[in-house]
Amino acid sequence: MKKASLPAIAATAVICFIFWLLLTGELASLIEGEPSLEVLIAGALVSVGVALFSARFFIHERPLFFFNPVRIFWLLVYCVGVFPMELFKANWDVAKRALSPGLPINPGIVKIPVELKSQYGQSMLADSITLTPGTIIMNTVKEEDKDYFYVHWIHVDSADHEEAGAAIKGRLEKWARRIWE
Amino acid sequence: MSILLYCAICFVVLAMVLIVRLVIGPTAADRAVVADAIDVLCDMALILFALYSGRGIYLDIALITAILGFIGTTLIGKYLEGKL
Amino acid sequence: MIYVVYALIFFSAFFALAGVVGMLRMPDTFCRMQSSTNITTFGMIGVIAGGVLYSGFVLYNYEMLIKLIVMGLFYILTTPISAHAIAKGAYHHGNKMIEDAACDQYKEDMEE
Repeated sequence: MKKASLPAIAATAVICFIFWLLLTGELASLIEGEPSLEVLIAGALVSVGVALFSARFFIHERPLFFFNPVRIFWLLVYCVGVFPMELFKANWDVAKRALSPGLPINPGIVKIPVELKSQYGQSMLADSITLTPGTIIMNTVKEEDKDYFYVHWIHVDSADHEEAGAAIKGRLEKWARRIWE
Repeated sequence: MSILLYCAICFVVLAMVLIVRLVIGPTAADRAVVADAIDVLCDMALILFALYSGRGIYLDIALITAILGFIGTTLIGKYLEGKL
Repeated sequence: MIYVVYALIFFSAFFALAGVVGMLRMPDTFCRMQSSTNITTFGMIGVIAGGVLYSGFVLYNYEMLIKLIVMGLFYILTTPISAHAIAKGAYHHGNKMIEDAACDQYKEDMEE
């Protein structure tokens, strides 16, 4: 088991502290202007304690590079503007297929190539594809220094690797690369 | 105001319709998927009832239900894969 | 503002109805999971967005608002993980796709 470095522990402690603020309802007190100091100190101690144990499971590469304002700005743009558009298109498509009387589906499992190298980018792309109705990632595989996803697709347009990849990933891969690489 | 309550009742009725699929679903994976969907629909009804009554305690219940549903579904998936 | 909340909730109720009808009609497990994603994403996001607007601008209850945002983040982060786990588990357990499926490249690669 490899040991966690100091920046990894710091990054995990910051993320744990944000979750402490959200879950204890302390953020509402901060907004209303009357924070209680005991809760904040206890949260900081608990976050550092949790981070000492769990940082080595949580962060594997380049710990501090997420705390970069440019990346956080692009992540907010992605979460507010780009991804809901894709989500709406896919949701409307699957709802139309489910409600139309002939049930026009043509399911199949296709294999698509992924050009991203970092693990954070790959997991964000996989989660985005799975969260979109109509496509579910079933497995990932690494063949000859190239990563592939197996995707269950509800209406297979083409079984070719590259064309299916272009149709499924769309704009998502460009944004994942812009945020994480 | 009471439109919120009527919508909550609609979500509960949709969850009851899904029980049909829970009974006839041929395999265990089908039943796990349907149970997850029923969990989500009940969560939506709980959120709407919390907004209707103005009490935050129902949101705590909905959050606990969401966490339990996630853990249960993931464990059933790992068990069916044979890696548990 | 209250009419925006009602519009969001009706919108999510429509997608929940479409997901339930899809789950009753689809022929095999994986297609049913696609319809279940329909409920979990837009059904839940519509209700949560309506709840955030309602608790922020009608009830002025910021504790409920924070809890709703936590629930939305939790759903968006955990739904893909459980969907991924159960799709892989169902495939390895032996659930088949329907007979006239277009292609199954996963099975072809596993047999090699």
